[in-house]
Amino acid sequence: MDFSNFNSAEQAHMTKIIEKKQMQDFLKMYANIVEKCFTTCCNDFTSKALSSKEDACVANCTEKWLKHSERVGARFAEFNAEQASQ
Amino acid sequence: MSFLGGRSNANASAVNYDKMEMAVTELDTVTDFFNRMVSSCYTKCVGGRYPADGDLNKGESVCIDKCVAKYNEVQKKVGEKLQSRGAAAQASGAAPGSGSAFGSL
Repeated sequence: MDFSNFNSAEQAHMTKIIEKKQMQDFLKMYANIVEKCFTTCCNDFTSKALSSKEDACVANCTEKWLKHSERVGARFAEFNAEQASQ
Repeated sequence: MSFLGGRSNANASAVNYDKMEMAVTELDTVTDFFNRMVSSCYTKCVGGRYPADGDLNKGESVCIDKCVAKYNEVQKKVGEKLQSRGAAAQASGAAPGSGSAFGSL
């Protein structure tokens, strides 16, 4: 995505749009993590509260997803940089 | 006469909304692609198993690297295929977009 031929008004406009999208993306990611980790970790409905096992599972699950997402992002950025320089 | 579009007088403070829309579409496409890639590679490499800890082990890390590379390859190949089909369809005079829901409009 090449924004170098945008004038300053367009760049300002684009920046606002990108900020809004980043926020929406964050909220979407939050909802995704909740659903995934709930599905993975919570299978015992004999109690209303989270057991300590489930609690640890959710913490690990969240951490794992975030690390995974980070790694994919890093590899993707490398790939894009490689493509751009070809 | 409106200063948006129309004459291209390189007005430094005008916002070209067509260009904006193209840029936003591209942004949306890349974001969607990235999110799908994250989701697919998680399913393939990490899976929905009960997580032992919060870190990625070596196997998962290596799998993720390969998964990203493959996903990008697939995207390229599919893009090429679609482009060549589109070009072939145009050359043979077939109705464009006849394979989609909007083909009969």
